[in-house]
Amino acid sequence: MDIDEYRAAFDAWLDDNREQLAPAYEGKGTLDEQMAQIAKVKRLAFDADFGRWGWPERVGGLGGSTLFRAYLQEAVTARDLVEPGLFSMQEVLAPTMIDFAAPELAATMVARLLRGDETWCQGFSEPGTGSNLGSLSCRSVRDGDTWRVTGQKVWTSLAQYAQRCVLLTRSGTPESAHRGITALFLDMDSPGITVRPIETMHGSLEFSEVFFDDVVVPAERMLGAEGQGWSVAMDLLPYERSTALWQRAAFLHSRLQRLLEVAPPGSLDPLKLGEVTQTLYAFRARSRGTQHRMASGAPLGSETSIDKVLLATAEQAVFDLVADTLPAEVTVGDDVESHLWRTEYLYSRAASIYGGSSEIQRNIIARRLLDLGSDR
Amino acid sequence: MDGEELELFERSLRHATASATGAELDAALVELGWHDALEVDRRASVALLFGLQGEAGSTSAALDHLVATATGLAAAASTGVVLPAIDRWDPPGVVHGRTLQVAGLVSSAGAECPEVVVAATAGDALVAATVPTESLGLRPVHGVDPWLGLHQIPAREVALPAEPTPVEGSWTDAVAAARLALAQQLVGTSRTMLRLAREHALDRVQFGQPIAGFQAVRHRLAETLVAIETAEAMIDAAWLDGDPGTAAMAKAVAGREARVAAKHCQQVLAGIGFTTEHDLHRFVRRALVLNGLFGSAKSITSAFGAELVESRQLPPLLPL
Ligand SMILES: Cc1cc2nc3c(=O)[nH]c(=O)nc-3n(C[C@H](O)[C@H](O)[C@H](O)COP(=O)(O)OP(=O)(O)OC[C@H]3O[C@@H](n4cnc5c(N)ncnc54)[C@H](O)[C@@H]3O)c2cc1C
Repeated sequence: MDIDEYRAAFDAWLDDNREQLAPAYEGKGTLDEQMAQIAKVKRLAFDADFGRWGWPERVGGLGGSTLFRAYLQEAVTARDLVEPGLFSMQEVLAPTMIDFAAPELAATMVARLLRGDETWCQGFSEPGTGSNLGSLSCRSVRDGDTWRVTGQKVWTSLAQYAQRCVLLTRSGTPESAHRGITALFLDMDSPGITVRPIETMHGSLEFSEVFFDDVVVPAERMLGAEGQGWSVAMDLLPYERSTALWQRAAFLHSRLQRLLEVAPPGSLDPLKLGEVTQTLYAFRARSRGTQHRMASGAPLGSETSIDKVLLATAEQAVFDLVADTLPAEVTVGDDVESHLWRTEYLYSRAASIYGGSSEIQRNIIARRLLDLGSDR
Repeated sequence: MDGEELELFERSLRHATASATGAELDAALVELGWHDALEVDRRASVALLFGLQGEAGSTSAALDHLVATATGLAAAASTGVVLPAIDRWDPPGVVHGRTLQVAGLVSSAGAECPEVVVAATAGDALVAATVPTESLGLRPVHGVDPWLGLHQIPAREVALPAEPTPVEGSWTDAVAAARLALAQQLVGTSRTMLRLAREHALDRVQFGQPIAGFQAVRHRLAETLVAIETAEAMIDAAWLDGDPGTAAMAKAVAGREARVAAKHCQQVLAGIGFTTEHDLHRFVRRALVLNGLFGSAKSITSAFGAELVESRQLPPLLPL
């Protein structure tokens, strides 16, 4: 199978199953509805094999190019079948799981995520630890064949839906910085875990505070070795900053197209519109290059910080244009479409924050890509 | 061209563009077979040469050649080509009977030729009008970048010595080819500005440390790299889809991002970068002119935006 064959076959399948795949709600839907819809689309696509292509056979996939995964993400986004950011979480979490989990663990778990039987979350940020991930303090102590975890995470997306969590913990001394971090893959129904959803600015309970009170995690649930958690994070973040964002160009393209259709005569500034469109297409071009590099087997690294900066720039440019072009809809409109524009405008503000803020990406570019040495 | 061959070709081109400019570089390009390579691997030949010209700050008649071959204008080496005036991209001439109205620019190589050919509209048709160079009243351009060696044709009417000939190729293709080449040259120009600013940031000590240690400086340089890679990605897209509209986007993005690069690098180089003792100014100047050739970022983008408002239809996204 090559990418053109996959594309043709998947498009045909999406057409044939249009009714079954369609969301049961109008507009954006509630978070519960969105999550149920994501699970449905994943299950149908997995059972029809499309959701398995591009993933290694040892975790339940059918092998083949990772471009198939990218196309799946893009196609379901372009057809408005799923909330793209939530749907693409598997592109953040599964690759690292495949690289670092014990083979048997990856083999049982990854397929559940891909089939939509499970949701996973990413427990990195803490109240005292955002950008400075190396300073995290959620404590883990080795106790025979188990780890015992005590501490807190925050802004953990989808924690209240998640069956599992990829968790970074402090196993070394508080001063051990990035050397003393251990990554665990834990069950969210373990005794001692409390999840408290937090309402986001765009009106969703998308992320949560998560409290761990002496939670017991079997040692075989370690990702990588003890003290190797930083490598796990460094492996995961490039996906979060690039390939997991691939479908956002398709999403932004469809929203910008919609804006062109509904903009009142004279409301669009041609120069601004042209610039925003070019910025979006440049992000798409960059992102395509990254997808092809990953498909060729090249490791992803610091260069993905450029993808992330471009995504934030493009997404905010599109929705700034929306706010300028449809000021009444965004501010006082209460119909379904106005609500959608407003929600998406507000969500676009997070694009320069999640996955490492734009400032952090520039720090990485300066240090790693321009080799400017340490900034201290 | 494959790996090793490509590497060798790049090395020769790098040497040629770094050590020669103008007529000397043209001679070197003939010697190392750039024109033949162009037929074999268009993308690599254009990307390498123009990127390297941008990096070195050199110039050649290669742009004339691209415009001439895309339109099928006379390809004789002894004939120059008229380029559109700054910020224009329509054919530089209009033919009425046996008179040619022409305005535009001629490269330093073109100005040395006894004759130049002008792509001109004649009613709905595109024609090639060949005129003696001396009939154009060429004036060397001093302007912001005298080193580019451009010549200006003051708008004028010229009597045609012979019937203009119909043209096979399309002007749209010529514009697209020129824009892709210029976009690559802008990226090369930006890369050198970044290299100069980066070296300075590491060398220059203030407050007891290299200024590269200051985050404000680091972020400017990081933004410059983002700007360069943005333009590079857009150029890549234009080669992939072969659409003149995408080539236009690539030129606009490269022109805009070169201005971003110039702004940041100039600020990092500060006082020394404001002198003619440092090389930066040549690249800042070059970027301004290259941005203007075959349409500035602003004009291309406004025209594109106006089309979108009119059609209410975005172009398709680059496929995976
Ligand atoms: C929608 C959304 C979803 C999220 N989902 C998750 C999730 O699932 N899992 C998870 O673990 N986290 C998640 N996060 C958290 C996210 O990773 C953090 O918000 C992010 O890393 C920034 O951390 P912070 O908010 O603590 O900001 P801080 O680190 O406190 O930064 C505040 C400001 O200071 C700047 N700053 C900080 N350090 C520097 C520096 N060295 N140089 C220059 N500027 C600096 C930052 O750029 C920022 O502008 C999510 C966030 C959002 C908005």
